[in-house]
Amino acid sequence: MVALDVAGLTKRYGAVRALEQVSFSVAPGEIFGYLGPNGAGKTTTLRILAGLVRADAGEARMLDRPARAAAARASVGYLPGDLKLYGGMTGSALLDLFARFRPAQPPVLRARLLDALALDPRDLARRVKFLSHGTRQKLGIVIAMQHDPRLLLLDEPTTGLDPLVQMAFRDLVVERAQHGAAVLFSSHVLSEVEAVCGRVAVLGAGRLLALESVDVLRGRMVRRVRVRFRGAPPPTLADTPGVAGCELAGLDATLHVRGDVNPLLRLLARHEIERLVLPEPQLEDIFFHYFAGGRDAGD
Amino acid sequence: MPAISLLQHIAVRHAPFLIASAVLLAAFQLLICAAVGSVDVSGALETLVHSLPPLMQEIVSSQLFGGFTPRGLLAFGWSHPVTHALGSAVAIVLATRAVAGESETGAIELLMSQPLSRGAYFAAHVVFALAAIASLSAAGVLGTVIGQGVFEIERFGPGPLLRLALAYSLLQGAVFGITLLLSAFGREGGRVASGGFLIVLISYFGEAIGRLWNKAAFIRPWTLHEYFPPNDILVRGLGIAKPAVVLGSVLAASLALAWARFRTRDVP
Repeated sequence: MVALDVAGLTKRYGAVRALEQVSFSVAPGEIFGYLGPNGAGKTTTLRILAGLVRADAGEARMLDRPARAAAARASVGYLPGDLKLYGGMTGSALLDLFARFRPAQPPVLRARLLDALALDPRDLARRVKFLSHGTRQKLGIVIAMQHDPRLLLLDEPTTGLDPLVQMAFRDLVVERAQHGAAVLFSSHVLSEVEAVCGRVAVLGAGRLLALESVDVLRGRMVRRVRVRFRGAPPPTLADTPGVAGCELAGLDATLHVRGDVNPLLRLLARHEIERLVLPEPQLEDIFFHYFAGGRDAGD
Repeated sequence: MPAISLLQHIAVRHAPFLIASAVLLAAFQLLICAAVGSVDVSGALETLVHSLPPLMQEIVSSQLFGGFTPRGLLAFGWSHPVTHALGSAVAIVLATRAVAGESETGAIELLMSQPLSRGAYFAAHVVFALAAIASLSAAGVLGTVIGQGVFEIERFGPGPLLRLALAYSLLQGAVFGITLLLSAFGREGGRVASGGFLIVLISYFGEAIGRLWNKAAFIRPWTLHEYFPPNDILVRGLGIAKPAVVLGSVLAASLALAWARFRTRDVP
């Protein structure tokens, strides 16, 4: 059984291709990453699933019902990427309002979510327009999850959250998945998708570029490592396993490392290093991999 | 029922605005009664009109005031721009907020992602708006009835008052329907409200100009305000079959077109 099944989803806005034949499925208990830069089509996909946007072609089913059917959304929680709430309402009134749309599913998780996200009761008593962006985002998360949905559609859910709350939120998502909920986790932040997701779809310009496990994706990640040596850089630098590219400029070297960085680190450990910058892989590098024809034969 | 929850939400959200509009309309009709009952307004107006050229005298006395009787002056209160402005404001605001306004604020995205069908969303807004307009009409009529009692003005029978309330409701219902049609196509509340306001202005002035200037009389059947005749209802005691058919048809057609658009459009 699948919780979410998307087949051949296509959407155009005039001449602009927002989605082209996108297909994937998410099983119960799975956290499925939906990666892509801004404008890739992530939000369009989620809006189609949430019944907001009509697909030109293709089919989407949620919990064995067509996504357009209102009944399909009864056990779905949706967090929009651009969350807008009624500014004149208090936080608690807003939570009650959205709970009333599901009389058969009481907000059993509300207390747990408020506690985990450290939502202050005083904030809930204030009007939404006076709350910070992060607090509003927390409210959006509670609205999406308070009725313990079987399918969660999360569009850039950690936007505006501080790092501690981001961690707490990721723990919540993992917890709900362990309880059997399916999660579609849309993001343009590679590291957070890597942290919680089992499988990932990579979307670019409306097309599905890849659909694979996080482990495989991790193997494709390219890090741009910058090193300044105290002496001359080792001549074998470019031949080190994993190093896909090497640019030397005096004592400075910029290395493009794909996959495991340990062979490079072992080599560097044998030399005097003045500075070493080992940044997180960037989504752009992953896209570069797919767009620049860097696909392996098995892709 | 999600639709009932939405209806409650719309009611709570608009309650202060609607209550204020209803109180203002009732107070305005009461004020008209006070003016008619406590001052010799009809005498003053008659004197004023007699100073005008004969043609203007005829137009003003028979067309605008239904004669200088208390009934005619009370009917004038229902044709007054303030009466029209209050009703149209309610109709335009409710229609604008229903789709375009909610799209502009973005709140529609979270609302429509609930287990709420588009039909239920649309129906909740229409039902609420029509009920609000009917309540507003009732409040205005109540103002007239109370004013007639307090200031001892000859009372209207229940029939003309009911017809007046129905005709006013239908007029504002038609304004609501047309603005909702604009709203169903729009994403910006301000533009939709401006469009609705412009249509009301054109209709109001088109009818007034057509009434005063024979060469422009052909415009009148094409205006909404032609089909809201307080003089005919309150002074002449005429029925409202034709106005009801015309305004009811405009309302039904505009709602049908608005629904056809809303059910297939992308939101926000």
